[in-house]
Amino acid sequence: MQMQANETTPIIEADNLTKRYEDGNLALDHVHFQVKPGEIFALLGANGAGKTTTINLFLNFIEPTDGEARIDGIATHRDPLAAKRKIAYVSENVMLYPHFTAFQNIDYFARIGGQTHYSDQDYHDVLRRVGLEDEAHGRKLKTFSKGMRQKCGIAIAILKNAPAILLDEPTSGLDPKAGHEFIDLLQSLRGEGKAILLSTHDIFRAKTIADEVGIMNKGMLVMKRSRAELANENLEKLYIDYMTGNGVHDGGNAHA
Amino acid sequence: MLKLIIHKELREIIASPKFVASFAVTAILILLTFYVGAQNHRLNVSRYEAAKTANLRKMEGLTDWMRVNNHRIFLPPQPLESLVNGVSNDIGRTTTLHGRGELTAQSSRYNEDPLFAVFRFLDLDFVFQIVLSLFAILFAFDAINGEKERGTLRLTFANDVPRATYMLGKWIGAFLSVGVPLLIPILLGTLMLPLMGVTLSGAEWVRLALIVLAGLLYFGLFLTLALCFSVYTHRASNAFLGLLVTWILVVMIIPRSAVLLAGHAVDVPTVDALAFQKAQQRSQLWREDREKMRNFSTLGASDAEKVMQRFNAFMSELSDARQEKMDALASQLNSQRRLKQNAQARLALGLARLSPSAVFSLAASRLADTDLGMKSHYLDEATGYQSSYAGFMKEKTGMNMGSGMVIFTTGGDEEEEKAINPGELPVFDYTPTPLTEAINGAALDLGLLVIFNLLFFAGAFVRFMRYDVR
Repeated sequence: MQMQANETTPIIEADNLTKRYEDGNLALDHVHFQVKPGEIFALLGANGAGKTTTINLFLNFIEPTDGEARIDGIATHRDPLAAKRKIAYVSENVMLYPHFTAFQNIDYFARIGGQTHYSDQDYHDVLRRVGLEDEAHGRKLKTFSKGMRQKCGIAIAILKNAPAILLDEPTSGLDPKAGHEFIDLLQSLRGEGKAILLSTHDIFRAKTIADEVGIMNKGMLVMKRSRAELANENLEKLYIDYMTGNGVHDGGNAHA
Repeated sequence: MLKLIIHKELREIIASPKFVASFAVTAILILLTFYVGAQNHRLNVSRYEAAKTANLRKMEGLTDWMRVNNHRIFLPPQPLESLVNGVSNDIGRTTTLHGRGELTAQSSRYNEDPLFAVFRFLDLDFVFQIVLSLFAILFAFDAINGEKERGTLRLTFANDVPRATYMLGKWIGAFLSVGVPLLIPILLGTLMLPLMGVTLSGAEWVRLALIVLAGLLYFGLFLTLALCFSVYTHRASNAFLGLLVTWILVVMIIPRSAVLLAGHAVDVPTVDALAFQKAQQRSQLWREDREKMRNFSTLGASDAEKVMQRFNAFMSELSDARQEKMDALASQLNSQRRLKQNAQARLALGLARLSPSAVFSLAASRLADTDLGMKSHYLDEATGYQSSYAGFMKEKTGMNMGSGMVIFTTGGDEEEEKAINPGELPVFDYTPTPLTEAINGAALDLGLLVIFNLLFFAGAFVRFMRYDVR
């Protein structure tokens, strides 16, 4: 599943990305960031800050008012199908078909994602890789806990083998062990050269795993720091400062 | 991609408990329909044969064809009538012939057995129109919004899935998973017919196949309508409620309202009013003829037989003239009534066709030959037979039937009179409407079913192109 990527070209790119809804609400205000292959970009922010809107724009569930969301150079609103071929997505609450088994669900979504070459063994392997016990592979999803469903969602994302992975609060509701396993998995995916956009509330995990962290507030990307920059700063304090309005909006580049 | 979505739909629906329950109910209902239909048909055939035999037996022992009166003919039961009842149980199936004059059909099945009229018989029309339309709603009301509520729509469209393909796959998958299994009990039911002694002609098999096709189109239509509602609403519960209201409107209210409205809009004189006018005319003609009878002269003939022959010829002449006038009046009144009835029926059916349910019912009954035209077709056939019956009787008696002749018998004939042979009577050979005519008659409604399907699908499709999948 190792991908060949151009190290210099961003896979995930928000370019001046803006979204204003019909009711006038400015959900996203000129957001700009890039995620290159083998990088994890974590978007931190409170509810309603614009994290999910950003992801929705990359998935073309909504269209931008201004700017572009690009996946591997393709503007998602111009050629959504081509862009989506390069995206794997895990939502906050993975919901699959309850009357299908885990195996049947991942088979269906892998095929929907254009991956038709996997063997049964591949499916079992990937389910094991995300931490799902063998006995659960043939069980119907309606018997699964949220954590187990999340694991299935991650398995589907892995099977798609897309260069870009969008994760919308994927660890929400996971127990600490599952959360830890998830971090390991993300690191392994990064090692495979995937560009990963991670939306999360979890400051600790963002700091642990992300190569770059952005803080969003009221639709704006008010701060952006690399891992190296964060080594000398307190991310928790920065987050609280920005959430309470004490941080200085640096367009994603300024310091608090 | 399309195949994959269809396959998923098939698996998802067939694995669901509601499929198992609804398929079991439908299969039992369909098999019961064929079983009850075959039993009814056998019963109707035996009643029909018994009535025919009784009619001929009534003539046994008669030695003069002149004494034959009240000869009756019967509408023979057709196998498809028992599967799609239409009006077949409501119209009279017996006609008494007098050799001339208007014919009426008496003794309908429901008139004879009113108990069955209370709840009506189980037939394919009921199964498709009521049961399957509800099942179609049950399987598709949450086709799109249910996926949205479950969150699977979001995950699906995070992939490069064209919306048109998805929509089509959803419809085909639902149709195949629910519609095709229906063919199993239908096939078993059709196999049951010959096993129960009900034989269908080639044309009747074609008609039955077309009725099933109409049923599937109707089922598909409700599936499409449900799909449409599932796209226009964001909550499955709202779609279900909306569909139930629509179902009541389409199945229960529109067809009945159409008939009521047409009844108010076009005033058709009642049969009683016509009968009163005819009776008045008949009395008037009788009064006139009685005057003529008083003036009957034997013209000097003294031989009793010759007198009677002249009298009979005179009476026959009067009767012919009277009948001619009565026929003319009846024809005029009937044609005026028929014109108004036709206008009323056109309006009623035109309005009723706003409801797909009425459209299906009209198509099925037309194909089964149990539509509104069944009665007039039977009476046309009976009238045709009456001519040959009158010709036969004239040949046998030398007299026109119903002319008020006097039977004159002379005594002292030594020769023993021979009994008439009722088997000589011409046979009433009822011919159902030809297959091509039935197909042509049902073509409009079959076409409308297709159009309704396309319209609802187009409505759903257009909306889904802009559907918020989040």
